[in-house]
Amino acid sequence: MAARQGGRGVVVPYVLVDRRRLRDLPATIDALRRGGAAAVELGFPFSDPIADGPVLAAAHDRALRHGTRWRDLLTACRIASERLPVAVMTYANPLWHRGLDASIGALAAAGASGLIVPDLALEEIRPFERSARPRELELVLLAAPGVSADRLATIAHRSRGFLYLVSRYGTTGRTRGSSPVDLTSMVRIARRAAPHLPVLVGFGVRDRASAALALASGADGVIVGSAVEERLARPRGVASLERWLRGIGGAARTVAG
Amino acid sequence: MPRRFGPYGGAYVPETLVPALTELERAWRDARSDPKFRSELRRLSTTLGGRPTPLYLAENLTRRGGGARIWLKREDLVHGGAHKFNNALGQGLLARRMGKPRLIAETGAGQHGVATAMIGAALGLSTEVYMGEVDMERQHPNVERMRLLGARVIPVRTGSRTLKDAINAALRDWIASVRTTHYLIGSAVGPHPFPSIVADFQSVIGREIRRQSARSFGRSPDLVVACVGGGSNAIGTFRPLLRTKADLWGVEAGGPRNSAHGAASLSHGAPGILHGSLSYVLQDDDGQVAETQSVSAGLDYPGVGPEHAMLRDSGRVRYLAVRDRDALRAFHWLAEDEGILPALEPAHAVFAAVREAKRRGRGREIVVTLSGRGDKDLEVVLRAGAQ
Repeated sequence: MAARQGGRGVVVPYVLVDRRRLRDLPATIDALRRGGAAAVELGFPFSDPIADGPVLAAAHDRALRHGTRWRDLLTACRIASERLPVAVMTYANPLWHRGLDASIGALAAAGASGLIVPDLALEEIRPFERSARPRELELVLLAAPGVSADRLATIAHRSRGFLYLVSRYGTTGRTRGSSPVDLTSMVRIARRAAPHLPVLVGFGVRDRASAALALASGADGVIVGSAVEERLARPRGVASLERWLRGIGGAARTVAG
Repeated sequence: MPRRFGPYGGAYVPETLVPALTELERAWRDARSDPKFRSELRRLSTTLGGRPTPLYLAENLTRRGGGARIWLKREDLVHGGAHKFNNALGQGLLARRMGKPRLIAETGAGQHGVATAMIGAALGLSTEVYMGEVDMERQHPNVERMRLLGARVIPVRTGSRTLKDAINAALRDWIASVRTTHYLIGSAVGPHPFPSIVADFQSVIGREIRRQSARSFGRSPDLVVACVGGGSNAIGTFRPLLRTKADLWGVEAGGPRNSAHGAASLSHGAPGILHGSLSYVLQDDDGQVAETQSVSAGLDYPGVGPEHAMLRDSGRVRYLAVRDRDALRAFHWLAEDEGILPALEPAHAVFAAVREAKRRGRGREIVVTLSGRGDKDLEVVLRAGAQ
């Protein structure tokens, strides 16, 4: 999905699928691509998004009120995957309820190349792996602060596509006063376990400064979620995406250089 | 401690929570074989909680049923007015043992919030309770009680603004605060090891029923009935009786007459992943969790503990749903026949028991877990009566 960038700093934006915004999706993805996105994460709204902070939780609620359904996710996958590599981010239940083979098969057929499940701890991944592997969908695992070195190594070893490093204690988006996490040593452990696997940092990356901070750990790139949602919610948000994203990518390259 | 109950259970959580869940499992393993912990738990259960609770022969209610004798396991007499104390005390002691100075909890009817606030005060732990806005309104007396007990009540304004969303909010808090905070979950739900820990602390109910039944009528009961929302009083009631000959019934909330599924996840739901475990969940075709409807805030939850899911599939426990209207009827029966104001949650179980008593006939013994008292429900009951 995302190649190891040797510290060049890729940017992967997250876009929550919302039926009302499907019409704008081609323009949105094009803008992200021009802004330097290496791939895009498409989020499927869920009724109980426990890993998401206020901005994205409200967006999940709103998208469901707008009548967003599973088939809209597949439509979004088809649109986006013509333009950029796509990883789908969805909570476990929508996949489980439909049947893992059926849901994961449908995502792969719609052009997704990766799958991220934020409420899937390492102990529970096996059936998801088993459905994803034959369909060539890469199951991206998350590692979070407080993880033991052994567990982090196992996660890095099992993850496909890239490793999603959660940058701090907390949900997605802005949080006040979250204490610093030693990302550098997490990146080092992940590298040792999986030398060719790119490491992307997400949760709380929202602008040049936070992207720079994340990349100073030696990670290959950043994932930007809530900040994209905030832009998209504004009038003419799509128009401003390209420049804004390029700014974040620029910061990334400056740091890495 | 089993990670799964048949295929159900597990820990479907963000990785951030895994270290805390591991720590909690280890702490509970150590604590439950530590004589000091056990004697402290026993001492406070007795001197602060008022255990054991009596098994009361409800003679007038038995006459109303016209058959089997109906016994009430009086968890409404536990300190705070509900069985929730049993679990809050146990987990509070665990939190203190783990050195976590702060408790968070979710609450629906407010009973678990009150229990947690009491324990927080007694053990010197700061306490914050998440509660849906809808529930804050319909269970207002409990909001005031929590505040008087020194807890901070945080209103939850997302989703259906009831128990399910209060759990979401508590989980989000915990993801951020996990190093200093224990999430004192109030029902037998959530990721492993919570369902096992909660069931362990609540099993005191079933153990006492077993002992008291033997003393009162010389054998185990023919039928034992408990209400099921998340299912903590029910699993605590059932677990020690699984190997007896007693029939076990779990009564879910059927909701208002026009509701297709009420809050009856075992009767009308399908397997799904909610709040960290795989169990029965009320949901739509896309796996979006449904909003529930019930007159009782404590049962108004679209999921259920994973052990119940296994017991449903195996057939060892029969789960049925009782509608709002019938629960309200049972509330009045118990008030008028026995002078007991039950919480609306166990009123569902009382209804099922009274109905079944006649069918079972004389000489049979039915035990109902009366999981809480009804003071908190007066407004709801009075309003329903006026309609």
